[in-house]
Amino acid sequence: MSKRLLVAALVLVMAIAAFAVPMTAAQEEVQLVWRTRPDNQAEIDVYTAASQQIDEAWDGVSLTYSPGGQEGAGYQDVLIAELEAGTAPDVFWIPGTDVARFAELGLILNLHDLASADPEFNADDFYPGPMGFLTTPLEEGQEVLWGLPRDASAFAIYYNADLFDEAGLDYPAAGWTWDDFFTAAEEITNLGEEVKGFGMNAWWANWGYWINAAGSRFFTEDYKACGLNNDATVVGLEAARSLFANGWAVPWGEDSEPPFLAGNVGMFMNGRWATPGTIANADFNWNVAPLPEGPGGPTNWLFWGAYVVNANTAHPEEAWELITRLTSAEIQGQIASLGANIPSRANQEAIDLFLATLPDSGVNNQVFTDGLQVAVTEAPLFFGDWPAIDAEYANQVNLVLNGELSAQEFADTICDRVAPFFDSAQ
Amino acid sequence: MATVVTTRKQGQGLPKIIYISAAWNIIIMLGSFALSYILFTQEPNKQLKDLGDNVRYFLALIALIPAAAAMYSVYGLLARRPGGRYASMALNYVGAVLSCLYLLHLWGVFIAFDDAGKALFENSFLLWGFVIAYAVYWLAGRLPEYSPSRRYLEMFAIGVAMLALIALLLLGGAVEGVWNVISTYGELQTWAVTIVVIIFAFVGYQILNQGDFFGETPDQRTSWQGWLMVSPNIIGFMLFFAGPLLLSFYLSFTDSEPGSIPDVIGFKNYGDILSLEFKTLDDPEANPQRALSFGYIPLDDFKIGNTRVVIGAKDVLFWKSLRNTIVFCMMLVPLSSIPALLLAVIMNSKIPGMKFFRAAYFLPSVAAVVGTALIWRWLYASDIGYINYAITEFVNGINSIFGTQIEYQKTQWLTDQGILLFSIVLLAAWQAVGFNTVLFLAGLQGIPTTLYEASFVDGANRVQQFRHVTLPLLAPTTFYVIVTTVITGLQVFNEPYALISSRPIPDAATTSVIYLYNRGFFRFEFGYASAVAWLLFALIFVVTIAQFRLQRSGSYDV
Repeated sequence: MSKRLLVAALVLVMAIAAFAVPMTAAQEEVQLVWRTRPDNQAEIDVYTAASQQIDEAWDGVSLTYSPGGQEGAGYQDVLIAELEAGTAPDVFWIPGTDVARFAELGLILNLHDLASADPEFNADDFYPGPMGFLTTPLEEGQEVLWGLPRDASAFAIYYNADLFDEAGLDYPAAGWTWDDFFTAAEEITNLGEEVKGFGMNAWWANWGYWINAAGSRFFTEDYKACGLNNDATVVGLEAARSLFANGWAVPWGEDSEPPFLAGNVGMFMNGRWATPGTIANADFNWNVAPLPEGPGGPTNWLFWGAYVVNANTAHPEEAWELITRLTSAEIQGQIASLGANIPSRANQEAIDLFLATLPDSGVNNQVFTDGLQVAVTEAPLFFGDWPAIDAEYANQVNLVLNGELSAQEFADTICDRVAPFFDSAQ
Repeated sequence: MATVVTTRKQGQGLPKIIYISAAWNIIIMLGSFALSYILFTQEPNKQLKDLGDNVRYFLALIALIPAAAAMYSVYGLLARRPGGRYASMALNYVGAVLSCLYLLHLWGVFIAFDDAGKALFENSFLLWGFVIAYAVYWLAGRLPEYSPSRRYLEMFAIGVAMLALIALLLLGGAVEGVWNVISTYGELQTWAVTIVVIIFAFVGYQILNQGDFFGETPDQRTSWQGWLMVSPNIIGFMLFFAGPLLLSFYLSFTDSEPGSIPDVIGFKNYGDILSLEFKTLDDPEANPQRALSFGYIPLDDFKIGNTRVVIGAKDVLFWKSLRNTIVFCMMLVPLSSIPALLLAVIMNSKIPGMKFFRAAYFLPSVAAVVGTALIWRWLYASDIGYINYAITEFVNGINSIFGTQIEYQKTQWLTDQGILLFSIVLLAAWQAVGFNTVLFLAGLQGIPTTLYEASFVDGANRVQQFRHVTLPLLAPTTFYVIVTTVITGLQVFNEPYALISSRPIPDAATTSVIYLYNRGFFRFEFGYASAVAWLLFALIFVVTIAQFRLQRSGSYDV
């Protein structure tokens, strides 16, 4: 009986072991695992191909690409849990706003020394905004490099050309102003009961555009305190509020993308990441236009995320080389060819690569690169608790845009409300 | 009773296996002491180091438990005490399971599940082989019992199934997998763990067979067999539930953040969460923020005479989320249980087609929340959503029939902060009604029909039967429905998270679990989030206890 039991146990164990993971790479090779947050399967495929390309061209290093969950599907949760457990990838992507927090917690490596020793690396190849934040020290006198920007993005107005035609309006173009915009929003809304002139989704960059366009900023110039207690904030929020109060926009807080794709919204503010989805799903004529100029002049956001190196990687040199390879013009060109990203390299070669993407779609790519030229860079907050500040800003903005708080009251109180979340308060 | 236990061989010497087991248990004891010592004095790896010294010391104490068990089992075995045998059995069984898990880890089995799943998916066409084999076998079974055709067909079916299995294993990389497992034996550690697994299993099994020697009664045998049956659950509970639970309790007293060793800060987290400040304002128009101490944010205010009282909190959002959660529960319980009771009463009738409706009403309970929330997002859309459309059409109908001029301002279901929570409750109630209906239906079917017949004879009508027979006898079911709905409601997370597209989720829709999730995974404050979790646990515990007390005192006996 005991023999039979032992044999049965052995067979069971061998059966389970039959599915054990293949150890394909030779033991002597350096094993690197890296991760991004892809938006869809097409992005997973292009990142996988890029990983294989780098792997084949790199002797002595074996790469494994581990696609993280998509936005809202646990990318951050899994990454944090893995960092805590010591099983996180060697190189991973994080949103620009998270760089400061990861750096403060010591979760990512300071790459300054490795970058200094790399003769081929030149920080000026990248957009200066993200690089400025990626070289922000935690302490005075410290020289740092927290990572390299994976890509960049900017907002544009995605407009439904058919609705503009129906309303007898000219398509929006460079130099158009808030007045032009409001006229278009009203005229398009008047086309029908189910039609709205404008839509934007409820997160910080959307209401932030109105603040920036009016001439205000989220923070003071040194990013050490709230910057919203001024008249420009009132102007920006009142302008945004008027869209909802007049019924010209999809109600604040509702997802504007489905009604836009259904052809019921004239103008939709969104980033470059929305372009492939719009090409695939919109059954009407559309294109993109610059954001309208407000009293503060032309503005936009420069969204970015960074490849960073796990502070506990066993192979920091190889990890550094990997992020330089991942941010090379060639690989960025491949990623950008999907149409969702703009290369983070600011040279003409990278810009030309981007402008040549999606040639059959007729999308005006130039709008995005022009937008980057006037953009405010998405900021990681080294001197405050951004998630807490974001939550407080958002709640008060919700009240304003839903008509429960005046813009003036917002401007009068918001900085007091978020003051405890800045380091200067400690 | 004495005759049952006479199988104990009192006059005989101890079997060899007892000595072997005792020796092995001494090794376990020494190993446990060594492990405990190492944990007390050193930091064995980064993960343990990151959890801080207190966790290490606690684990060192835990490591003394097998040492104590081993010590007792050595004494018990040599003294022929049944307790010694049971201790040895338990020790070796748990040791075998844990070391086996570790061996599987060394083999790379756990990280291979993804690959195995992918391989199965990519070669899923081979599963047709099993379908064909089953069909052929079923056909063979229709033939006469001893006919050669039947035998050949059965053998053919088994052959097809075996071929499909072999092909699936080969194409799924089974050979490579086995080779990988074998290659792990290049490490001494794999050999050592394998030997340990075998010794644990061998000793445990041999001791298990010594029941007669220790005079085991049938009741005792049944008892340990019962424990054996539930042991996978107990081990899983201890490893994956009780352990993390204890850790989170500890972390709630620390400033734990990713990447740093947590420091014990006592009750600071709890203090910060619960801190409130009350201030009076003589000028009712004054900015309440200015009246509060630094670090406090206005939570609410009210007037007493001409004086305005401002309540400030250090953690305003905790209080708001708690209020939202409680309000959510208060709305969810009636909205998900009263319709469920009515539906159950209707479904309990003998109307034709009821089985279809039972399935239909239960469907939302098994549908994924994320999917249904997206559908509800569309339903709630203020301009193009069906709910507002239906209300508008209804109002128009009223106007056209009665000549009235009622105007319906389209409800902003997902953006009006005043009704946002109610929108979430509607979704949650819609999901919960089906499950509660099934519970009530089961309760109704347990009520003897004789009671209805007796009440009918006494002259009771349908309403009186429902009032005086159905409701009182459904009290246990009602209690269960209310308790489970309240607990579910207090833990609500999925519905607001999936339904609301704004980020961060507005205060008006932030529930306690969403709040602790945000603190943990967006603000990286594991210690603080753990404290919020334990406060929520305390609330659920108190509410549940209160409900049990109410039930015992007969409050539910309508």
